Amino acid sequence: MTGALARTVESISGALRAVFAAEQVAAEDGFLQGRDPRVTLLSLGGFALAVMLARTPAVSLGLGVVTVALALLSSVPLRELLARSAVVPAAAAVVVLPQAVLLPGDALASVLGVAVTDAGVAYVVRFTLRVWVGVALLSLLTVTTPFSALVAAMRELRVPVALVWVLAVTYRYLFLFFDELQRLVLARDSRTTDSAGARSEWRDAKRLAGTFLLRTLDRGERVGRGMRARGGARPPSPYGRPRAVDGYDYALSACAVAAVVGAGVVRWLP
Amino acid sequence: MAPVIEARGLTHEYPDGTTAIRDVDLTVDRGERVAVVGANGSGKSTLQLALGGLVEPTAGAVTYFGETSDAEAVRDRLGVLLQDPDDYLFNTTVREDIEYGPAQLGQPRETARRRVDALAAELGLEDLLDRPPFRLSGGEKQRAAVASVLAFDPEVLLLDEPFGAVDARYRERIRESVTDRDGTLLWFTPSLDAVPEVAERVVLVSRNGSIAADGPVREILTDRTLLRDHGLRPPATVRLFEGLVEREKLPLTVEAARRYLRRDE
Repeated sequence: MTGALARTVESISGALRAVFAAEQVAAEDGFLQGRDPRVTLLSLGGFALAVMLARTPAVSLGLGVVTVALALLSSVPLRELLARSAVVPAAAAVVVLPQAVLLPGDALASVLGVAVTDAGVAYVVRFTLRVWVGVALLSLLTVTTPFSALVAAMRELRVPVALVWVLAVTYRYLFLFFDELQRLVLARDSRTTDSAGARSEWRDAKRLAGTFLLRTLDRGERVGRGMRARGGARPPSPYGRPRAVDGYDYALSACAVAAVVGAGVVRWLP
Repeated sequence: MAPVIEARGLTHEYPDGTTAIRDVDLTVDRGERVAVVGANGSGKSTLQLALGGLVEPTAGAVTYFGETSDAEAVRDRLGVLLQDPDDYLFNTTVREDIEYGPAQLGQPRETARRRVDALAAELGLEDLLDRPPFRLSGGEKQRAAVASVLAFDPEVLLLDEPFGAVDARYRERIRESVTDRDGTLLWFTPSLDAVPEVAERVVLVSRNGSIAADGPVREILTDRTLLRDHGLRPPATVRLFEGLVEREKLPLTVEAARRYLRRDE
């Protein structure tokens, strides 16, 4: 691909398609892969709730260690987990960064005449850490459990149909959306040279944006028909992949319950 | 016995004002194999969508199995294959895509699994079942899409250009898979070469989206003037033997042509 536009699209599409490749990780033998999807969903959801309740860095850090341990036990490469879960916390850090100078506290340093406070830095670190652990848990869930199994588990757990539907359709369409964009850029790329220049690229980008929206609508409509042709007008009902609940499932669930209770106790402890 | 599909006055106009199909009357009886042919842009695909209940007609209606006009009520009895396999394959693995229909239509998992395995063997998909659909070639996607329609064993198949990018070997397999079953078949295509092997009746759609002719395969496929007027040309064997053999004896398939030549020897 040539040009910044094409390279950007390629990277985004590549990252999204990596989620598909995660199905290979989901197919591997590992701790979370061997659990009943309902247990995985509830347990990792429990850990995520514990992270949300956590107010001290030690608890967040402890849950981060649990996340890393689960990833290692499930044959998920740490590098991949980090890559998948880095963007959101990085963006969150940027958003809360002003708190480092806005929160009152003892001055740690002075940047351009503005004092960076200890309370502000602690807040930014705590917030970013919590976001990272939460996103890493979500990534772990999607990497180790096929999406259809998650949808089936949600249905079995009586999650409201409307919510499951929205999640299922959003997931499907997200990939189609970027697939369409990549096709469009490929079509442009096949008739463009590197020497086209930034101005030409900007002009193309404007044209592509309009066409992209129309094509996405059209493609969405066609895929919608493809789904309806096979019963897609009915609530999503993929085949579940239940497994016999064993001691490990109970242990994982117990750990999640303990994490929620522990985080809650630490939070509200006088 | 009631027809499986009965369309009356079916018209569909797109929001931009283009009338894709116009006042179509079509009756298809149980077990019939019908090829719906027409030039590019004649409205075949829209007709397929309208007959399959996937677009709302602007006028007219379709009655299914003499029972209802609601396609969703009989969705498990209609197998609609869209033209572009990419519109069909949106799951994370090929197996999930093939299982999607049976699962949504409430078929037992074991039945679906057996059927998926049988179809995978039939259409050469065994090694592709656990791969993401976007990694497949065009022909592989097409085979996977065909398998995903056959997976829930519908009574009526409405297939839009199911050969697509498929190579010769798998064309034959797809043809066998859809013709060796007992159901009703509607095969939408602009290419007439395979029609005599899959259909016994031809419906010709004109460029304005209405039905120009409807009759037995031989009658339509050997009428050069009719076909030419509608942007089509007869199958290769018909073109080859035209003028050499009387119209009633024109071979429609390669096999028939070979038999004819041997007899001449």
